[in-house]
Amino acid sequence: MLGAVHLTQGSADVSPLDLFASLTGAPADQTTAILVASRLPRLMAGVLVGTALGVSGVLLQTVSRNILASPDTLAVNAGAYLAVVAVTVFGIALPVLAGGAVAFVGGLAAAALVLALSAGGGAGTIRLILAGSAIALALGSATTVLLLLFPERSIGLYAWGQGSIAQGGSSGVETFAPVVLVGLVVALAVTRGLDLLALGDDTASVLGVNVRRTQLVGVLVAVLLSAAAVSVAGPIGFVGLAAPAIARLIAARVPGMQRHILLLPAAAILGVIVVLGADVLLRIVFGGAAGVEVPTGVVTTIFGAVFLVALALRMRASSESAGRGLVGGRTVTTRRRVLVGLAAAALLLVVLVGSLLLGDSKLLGGDLVNWVTGRSGPIVDFVLETRSPRVVVAALAGAAFALAGAVVQAVSRNPLAEPAILGVTGGAGLGAVSVITLWPVAGFAVVTAGGLVGAVVAAVVVFGLAARGGFANNRLILIGLGVSSAAAAAVSMLIIATDPYNGAKALTWLSGSTYGRTADQLVPLAVTLVVALPVLLSARRELDLLAFDDDTPRVLGIRIAPARLGLLVVSVILTAAAVSAVGAIGFVGLVAPHAARALVGARHSAVLPVAALLGAILVCVADTLGRTLIAPAQLPAGLLTAVVGAPYFVWLLWRSRR
Amino acid sequence: MKKSPIALLSLVAASALVLTGCGTTESTADSDSGAATIEVVDDRGETISLTGAATKVVALEWNAAESLVALGVMPTGVADVAGYADYVQAAPLDDTVTDVGGRGEPSVDAIAGLAPDLVVTTNDLSESAITQIEKIAPVLVIRAADTTDGIGQMEKNLGDIATLTGTEDEAATLISDMEAKIAEGAAAIEAAGLTGTTFALSDSYAYNGEITIRPFYKGALLSDVAEELGLVNGWEGEGDADYGLGAVDVEGLTALPADIKYLSFSAEDGDVYTNELAANPIWTSLPFVQSDDVYMLTVGIWPFGGPASIDVFVDSVVDSLTS
Repeated sequence: MLGAVHLTQGSADVSPLDLFASLTGAPADQTTAILVASRLPRLMAGVLVGTALGVSGVLLQTVSRNILASPDTLAVNAGAYLAVVAVTVFGIALPVLAGGAVAFVGGLAAAALVLALSAGGGAGTIRLILAGSAIALALGSATTVLLLLFPERSIGLYAWGQGSIAQGGSSGVETFAPVVLVGLVVALAVTRGLDLLALGDDTASVLGVNVRRTQLVGVLVAVLLSAAAVSVAGPIGFVGLAAPAIARLIAARVPGMQRHILLLPAAAILGVIVVLGADVLLRIVFGGAAGVEVPTGVVTTIFGAVFLVALALRMRASSESAGRGLVGGRTVTTRRRVLVGLAAAALLLVVLVGSLLLGDSKLLGGDLVNWVTGRSGPIVDFVLETRSPRVVVAALAGAAFALAGAVVQAVSRNPLAEPAILGVTGGAGLGAVSVITLWPVAGFAVVTAGGLVGAVVAAVVVFGLAARGGFANNRLILIGLGVSSAAAAAVSMLIIATDPYNGAKALTWLSGSTYGRTADQLVPLAVTLVVALPVLLSARRELDLLAFDDDTPRVLGIRIAPARLGLLVVSVILTAAAVSAVGAIGFVGLVAPHAARALVGARHSAVLPVAALLGAILVCVADTLGRTLIAPAQLPAGLLTAVVGAPYFVWLLWRSRR
Repeated sequence: MKKSPIALLSLVAASALVLTGCGTTESTADSDSGAATIEVVDDRGETISLTGAATKVVALEWNAAESLVALGVMPTGVADVAGYADYVQAAPLDDTVTDVGGRGEPSVDAIAGLAPDLVVTTNDLSESAITQIEKIAPVLVIRAADTTDGIGQMEKNLGDIATLTGTEDEAATLISDMEAKIAEGAAAIEAAGLTGTTFALSDSYAYNGEITIRPFYKGALLSDVAEELGLVNGWEGEGDADYGLGAVDVEGLTALPADIKYLSFSAEDGDVYTNELAANPIWTSLPFVQSDDVYMLTVGIWPFGGPASIDVFVDSVVDSLTS
């Protein structure tokens, strides 16, 4: 039914009756041609991709015994896409099927990395998903860096990594249909083994299943299917999560359907429904030609992100807690704290000076001295005058993100919490972009206000939904990941639909950039920091106690709820101010506070200043690299923090396992 | 080429128009007053004033770079020099030109390093970047394109650049040559009995097997030039307000009238038509494909350029349709 509607939509003016007539054999040359060369390939691509992703999702979930496993959350799609893009930008022309093999290798490598990181972690671990999502983010950033480094060989919209099922002909589908078919046959052949895997390794072994082999086959087939889907249509987000989720919901009500022989086809059909439904919806909302401009993957990502949130909510609150990551056992002497603080400050100074010297035109220390003493020539003058706001805004934004991260981690008692991962950064970006889109003449203050509204809404949604069962639970992180994915997809959609030729705008709001910042644009962020830092330092005792447990602050007479709320508000404002100034730079709020705690222990009187210094250093270094590596062209700072920060996130996960 | 009387007449008419309409007295008046200031009000409404003609000019968008080259003022810096070499072949840069980075985020350091007298950019560059660059040199901000008056906006941009670089005479020559070229082309089209023919001007690209066609709707610079040649734009609908562009897929081509002349830009490394579309049943079912009315224009015509690109475009269109 959906397929029939899908066939009728398109940019050509063809009536459904004509299409039906040509389907039944009546001669109508051009209608037939449209059906054969455009509508059917698109439909077939939708069917192929939906089937492949749906089945792949079920396989990954069964093998990992985790309902949140999917080609997206295990980074399989991101790995496959990175491999495809890498081959393309290095100018290696491959036959279509060999391109598919490259995608397979990329997807397999990513999956292997994620699974290895969580190996032995026990059944149903959320860590798997968190590691996978972080690696997917890092791989996505790496893909964007490649696309920016080699712009001639890539085409605009695809830089945002959203797949589309539109097809120029049936060759892609014809090439990969046999691959998907083989995958399906193999998957169906091992359904009994898959059923028994669900009972646990030991039971399955006793019942005669070779556990290792079944798992290996499951993963290989899942990666094969995702790689085929990515080769045909690019990364279509979250179908492999949503389709199996709906299938399992239905299976819970229908006796016998939990068996894989039924579950796999059901997930395949639902995958097709999700993909085609997204495409149909897109064309209903934006008109028949919209599919040319707005990729299908944007819609499926928003839809799938809702499922990620819903699934996270259904998980038992007590199932897993990130636990004791925050209150380190280390005792650190005051002397050491002071020394580390001074060292960090000195390092920041060095980095600031280095950042001022490096860039497209390299300066020497003497230039800086001349500039400060007002004796520099006009060019040095100008370079430093335009470069210094960028360096300062990078440092300020880094400090703001770091403080926001430190506060969120303490208040939620969750070591993985971070403004970008929680979707607050994404919400701020969406708010700011909405203001710019709807009201192009808006001044900087209004854009900042838009960012603040977006950040508040995202924070209310994420913390509101996660409140039941406590923030320490990793549910908070999963809900945040869902919200941040949806926000990023919505930003893509807004920019593609309203300002498709403006790549610089998209990059700023998706990856963060300090390009063209002037001194007056630093003011809101600087003021926010100047106000927030003393407020937070005066609340250091509350932060220490809230980070410890719920009972101690109560015993000591601190009203938990207002203290939490107040601190969260400060962190949301810090995030919004930073995002409005530099766009969506991620992972700083994660890396800096953790590094600070490792250096100076858990006391916030020391953690806050040191985290702020480290955050400033991190973003400054990333920005300087971005300004220098491919000068005179530029790389956005946020891409580099993600490439550095995501592995750090994974390492934190790895370490907190035992 | 055999010239018809009408062609000659229109040539004469065009020349007369140029002689009366484009000669200015302003430049002589200025040079009399010694330390002359040149003033131009740009598309932001800002007044750009120079104490003498600019000679070291940086162009951050290719249309400005093309105009400068055509006016005989080789720019000192251009954004994305490599891309320019591929896409704007009508007015090549020489090897003295420095690359100042990407067109979206040009490097202000590189611009400053060139110590220009004038920087020309379009309103696509972010306002804060323009503010920064103004500290180095006066910035002329032109509106890249305007569908309400495609050719007029191009001429205004060329005129502003010419005024600030003291090359108004060259600009007048460029415009008159271009008008003569268009008149000559129109005459050739008329002589071939093609006046009133419907055309569709498009650009196309393919990615991962997916084909996107970019129609040049009414108001786009080059589709307006083609209309000046006596042709009629067959793309119904509206593009964006600046460039007059849109995006359709292969199906979207079925909306074009049957008796159309399909004109397409072509790229260095092969094109979508010979690669991806050759075996596409929709493409081959299109009446204008079956009647062999698809014309690939000369490689390297910048669709948003100035007189230099337009001259090549006119030649290419006339040659395609009349030979």
